[in-house]
Amino acid sequence: MIVVNNLHKSFGKLEVLKGIDCHIHQKEVVCVIGPSGSGKSTFLRCINRLEEAQQGKIFIDGEEVTAPNADINRIRQEMGMVFQLFNLFPHKTTLENVTLAPIKIKKMSKEKADDIAIGLLRKVGLGDKDHVFPSQLSGGQKQRVAIARALAMQPKVMLFDEPTSSLDPEMVGEVLEVMKDLAHEGMTMIVVTHEMGFAREVGHRVFFMDEGILMEEGTPAQIFDNPQNPRTQSFLSKVL
Amino acid sequence: MKKFLSLLLIAMLAIGMLAVAGCGGAEEEPAQQEPAAEENTISKLVVGSETAYAPFEMVDDATGDYIGFDMDIIKAIGEAMEVEVEIRSMEFTALIPALQNGQIDCAISAMSITEERSQVVDFSDSYFDAGLIIAVAADTEGIETLDDLKGKVLAAQIGTIGADACVAVKAEDPATEVKTYDHVGEAFMELQKGGADAVVNDMPVTAYYVKTEASDKVKMVGEVFQADDHYGMPVQKGDAETLTLLNEGLAKIKADGTYDEIYAKWFE
Amino acid sequence: MNLGFTNTEWIFGTTIIDRLHEIYGFQVVVNNLPNFGMGAWLTLEITVFSIAIGMVLGLIAALGRMSKIKVIKSIAVAYIDFFRGTPLFVQILLLYFGIIPLIFDASPIQSAIIACGLNSGAYVAEIIRAGIQAVDKGQMEAARSLGMTHGQAMIHIIFPQAFKIVIPPLINEFIMLLKDTSLVSAISVGELTHTGKMLYASTYQAVWVWGAVCVFYFIMTKALSILGDWTERRLATE
Repeated sequence: MIVVNNLHKSFGKLEVLKGIDCHIHQKEVVCVIGPSGSGKSTFLRCINRLEEAQQGKIFIDGEEVTAPNADINRIRQEMGMVFQLFNLFPHKTTLENVTLAPIKIKKMSKEKADDIAIGLLRKVGLGDKDHVFPSQLSGGQKQRVAIARALAMQPKVMLFDEPTSSLDPEMVGEVLEVMKDLAHEGMTMIVVTHEMGFAREVGHRVFFMDEGILMEEGTPAQIFDNPQNPRTQSFLSKVL
Repeated sequence: MKKFLSLLLIAMLAIGMLAVAGCGGAEEEPAQQEPAAEENTISKLVVGSETAYAPFEMVDDATGDYIGFDMDIIKAIGEAMEVEVEIRSMEFTALIPALQNGQIDCAISAMSITEERSQVVDFSDSYFDAGLIIAVAADTEGIETLDDLKGKVLAAQIGTIGADACVAVKAEDPATEVKTYDHVGEAFMELQKGGADAVVNDMPVTAYYVKTEASDKVKMVGEVFQADDHYGMPVQKGDAETLTLLNEGLAKIKADGTYDEIYAKWFE
Repeated sequence: MNLGFTNTEWIFGTTIIDRLHEIYGFQVVVNNLPNFGMGAWLTLEITVFSIAIGMVLGLIAALGRMSKIKVIKSIAVAYIDFFRGTPLFVQILLLYFGIIPLIFDASPIQSAIIACGLNSGAYVAEIIRAGIQAVDKGQMEAARSLGMTHGQAMIHIIFPQAFKIVIPPLINEFIMLLKDTSLVSAISVGELTHTGKMLYASTYQAVWVWGAVCVFYFIMTKALSILGDWTERRLATE
């Protein structure tokens, strides 16, 4: 479903991605792990072109995302993204955060968008918080609203950029729980994460990235129990 | 709102008190200065002038010095009376308040001796006979007299007798529009850009402007009016000593021919 | 300080008022209250129209300055630099006597509004740009990641948040502008300062006339800042 060919990305002289190739299937959950600065977030952000790659191609369902004339706004509607810092819209209520894009972009009626949004908020366990502003929510609640917001566009793929990294430890669980449910429903997901437990339990495949290179990939069992690459071994010995 | 009102009240009170105090001060100052005056030891005159009124007072492009008929006259008086003269350039409308506050000793600025001004300052003997003239754009026809100005757009300098004349025309015909400027130069610019039909101003200044700046664009029309207009040097009300000095000096330079030389230099 | 009152007279308000009426400067101010009022009204008119022009120009120039298209950006930068880098007084004279007559036949008041509007636009542009740039970068990314165009993200996400940020500096700019309209007196616009100049030139009551002018300006700027506080509070509780 997602094909990445020879992806290169530099910030000035700093080369962050040095040729990534991979293939992600429908309904697959891929967890991307690796040390900080390894290029995992940049890789994710290149997929929906929040970062422009200098070289290489990305295809979603055969459509080239990286083509200069690609309708990126339409393509992005099919790829939900969840950020480390939530990035909720502070001037809108929880409900409005979720309904804004369907109403403004898909021209959905407010009633229909509200229905869908309330359903999604219930699904992430925040059915009673629809008229609350983000500033009144805890970090975990904010991230769950952010997931609901991304889901409201009914995306084919969900991209998670370290969704639990800025949460207090006691809130990590509630967010991972929501993501787990999503995975069980068959959502295609790419998750950049430091939660090894989640990667092992929920991931179908795990990518290990370091220094802008996809060093090793395999099932959670292969990566966590029997890593082949010395870099992977050294990284896992530090975090596990 | 309450806070605002009380603030406002305080502001108004403060201003009111300042004003009252200011008035009191102005009245008292001459009294305080009088002992000094009796000693008759003026060694320096601080003279105010609006130095944008050629040919009476202006700034020399090349040197930056203040030059003009008035400047020569006051310097000559200074030499004749052996006092130092310092020129202070200021807005025309600031001259009389500056005298009242004692910031300057006297002014020389092509100022006409009028009844209103004489109520607040004392004037020296007249040193120049002027009068008003109407100036119009070179292609204007049909404006020659004050009566012709009714219903027209007039330009003049704030606080001059030219402006008073314009206001008087407006009083007779409310359709008249009067535009007033800080400097006469802007009034002439307004005339040239077509924003005014006529400029009413002192004849010698208008004549000098037409001759030097705009002989093909501006012309003087009609006769000089208010010909009983005399320039004098104002001093603070009651400052007899400075007044005497100015009058004596003026008499001296008139007697020894210096005045005539200066007059010839600027007007012939 | 001699206030012209004895201590006992202070106690009786009526005596003070009677005393004030004997002062020439006070009479001048009281008799000319309608003139001051008309001058203040004109000051307000010029300010309001200049703000309107300034807001539109400022928004366009701010967006122009942030544009990726070089030509548009240079034009915006040149406009902002010129009007912020030269004195308003000079701009008023230059526009009125030099530039506007080449384009159309404007009255002094129209010229004053154009000059003040152009000047204010440059300052408003910088305020708006700062406001937009103060909105967290993640907001734009979140909006774009949902599939919004740059324009949609600006309108629905960035502007509403920038708006709150720019209110206090904008009100400050409007207060400055209101005071700066005093400079258009130079081109014979009969606003508050011009009214003061005329009265001062004929009465020489500097302290009373300028004191009254101050009070009028103060009332107007205070009203503006109260309006600003009120807007800020309303937005904060939203």
